[in-house]
Amino acid sequence: MDVVKMNIIENILFNHSVEPVKYVSPGDIVTVNVDRVIMVDMAALHPEFLDNPPVKPFDPEKISLVFDHYVPAPNIEIANRVNRLRKVVDRWGIKDFYDVGRGGISHVLGGEKGWFRPGSLIANTDSHTIATGAFNTLGRGLGTPEVMNIIATGKTWFPVGETLKINLENRIKPHTSAKDVFFYMASKIGDIPNKNIEFSGNGIEYLNIDQRSSISTMCAEVSAEFAVFPEDKILKQYMNERGYMDYHAAVPDTNAEYIDEMSIDMGKIEPMVAMPDRIIGNIKPISEIGRVEIDVAVVGSCANGRLSDIRDVAEVLNGRKISDRTRFVVTPASKAIYEEASRLGYISTIMEANAMVTNPTCGACLGGHMGVVGNGDNVISSTTRNFKGRMGGSGAKIYLASARSVAISALKGHIAGDLNE
Amino acid sequence: MNNINGRVWIFGDDINTDLMYPQICYTLPQEEKPYHAMEANRPGWAGMVRKGDIIIGGRNFGTGSSRPAADNLKNLGIVCVIAESINGLFLRNAVNSGLPALEIHGISGIAREGDTIVIDFVNSIIKNARTEEMINFKPLPAFLMEIIENGGIINILKNKGMLGKPL
Ligand code: SF4
Repeated sequence: MDVVKMNIIENILFNHSVEPVKYVSPGDIVTVNVDRVIMVDMAALHPEFLDNPPVKPFDPEKISLVFDHYVPAPNIEIANRVNRLRKVVDRWGIKDFYDVGRGGISHVLGGEKGWFRPGSLIANTDSHTIATGAFNTLGRGLGTPEVMNIIATGKTWFPVGETLKINLENRIKPHTSAKDVFFYMASKIGDIPNKNIEFSGNGIEYLNIDQRSSISTMCAEVSAEFAVFPEDKILKQYMNERGYMDYHAAVPDTNAEYIDEMSIDMGKIEPMVAMPDRIIGNIKPISEIGRVEIDVAVVGSCANGRLSDIRDVAEVLNGRKISDRTRFVVTPASKAIYEEASRLGYISTIMEANAMVTNPTCGACLGGHMGVVGNGDNVISSTTRNFKGRMGGSGAKIYLASARSVAISALKGHIAGDLNE
Repeated sequence: MNNINGRVWIFGDDINTDLMYPQICYTLPQEEKPYHAMEANRPGWAGMVRKGDIIIGGRNFGTGSSRPAADNLKNLGIVCVIAESINGLFLRNAVNSGLPALEIHGISGIAREGDTIVIDFVNSIIKNARTEEMINFKPLPAFLMEIIENGGIINILKNKGMLGKPL
């Protein structure tokens, strides 16, 4: 048999294989060493973790504990449970612990702190761990029981799925966002459980790390296993500026194999929206949905609460007031983003428009706090999911869009993707 | 693993974890959680489930979050989940909770709601007891079946002495 040519994803799995193997290819199951394990505060709400935590971790230096979903604790039950979770920090000797006021959403913080090194492999208790793909890093969200196993052993397993190569071509139009590129892509590929996405194409160089992260994060919503960008000069620069030099990026072998290949002309995409209750099969250009009045607008989350998103919001709101009928909650995804947005004047611009800026947290995205919506609310949100009941009452209608479109909709009081229409 | 013989509930495409384990479940007492499964898409369903029932779903079953959604279905009495395709995270969570989850292309046509089906894990065949129609399936890898037979990953960790005293 010829030498098997591996793509980026297969190369990373191959490099982390516990057993020496000649190659990995679709259909294999590989047992791998994990470079870092991230646990978020939600572990405290798992029925088992607090009562039966692993005795000790395989390596305390490779474990991060991030409080992000419920920051600060919204009720007594959660306050009590996260108090118990905090005890694990001393018990295990964890250094990377980010409590209230210190960190941010794990999928954003991990990039800032250098946990996502190109070529590495990450496990996290949260389902949007696929976000790491923007960093040329494989990440998989796993259930708390499985993460407990990884904490104890340092290992887990992955099925090697088939990989779809998606070429992102050309520059996005000025009033369109990476989120719209994702929506467009999702409307073309639908759900792809067990499959991977590898991004390529000449348009990647126009996407900053925030924009790439928005796309990779959202790939959880098409049920992809992994969704990975190549390492290029923009990622190199990001890592170098922060002093994260120690890594080995993964590149595809020449003639690597893909199940399919498609090209997306980012220059042709217009602002899109996911209609309520699901993303798959439910995406439309905003220009085609008619008038939908909006009660609540939300910008935040691991997908679109990044500095580029807060900047988009500030640019849209600049000197204007949001509609009287709309409540607008803006949640920066991390402390560093909040500070930078504040330094650049974005926070005051947003507040002057009568929008509310909360502390960094997942908050409204999971209907936890800081913007829980009620039945009958029409919601437009830059967050990740529009499942029925996701953000609060199951009678709310949740539309998903880019941060820019959410801000424009908040101004107008109805869904819109064009400020000047 | 022994045959499973159970009554079928039919669900459609893209049934997500937040339907199976809604937000409010996080802070409810453990015994109350299962009764909120699917309350947003199918109110009253959880109250009708009997121990030993089976779910047949459509495409992309279990899309969504890492929350213990499969565990919630198991605690409600569901003994197997079968679907046209299953989200990778949900499949792992099901296996790690000791709940068999099978991806079988073409399963949607095999049963109506209320039918009884027999799942034969030894021969990897499912049979509808009413119509006698049969379908073969690709078995789960042996090491995953082992996790299921041991009642899930937490039991395995406990038995190995890897879990310690409460926090
Ligand atoms: S922001 Fe939303 S999608 Fe992202 S980790 Fe938090 S709850 Fe999950």
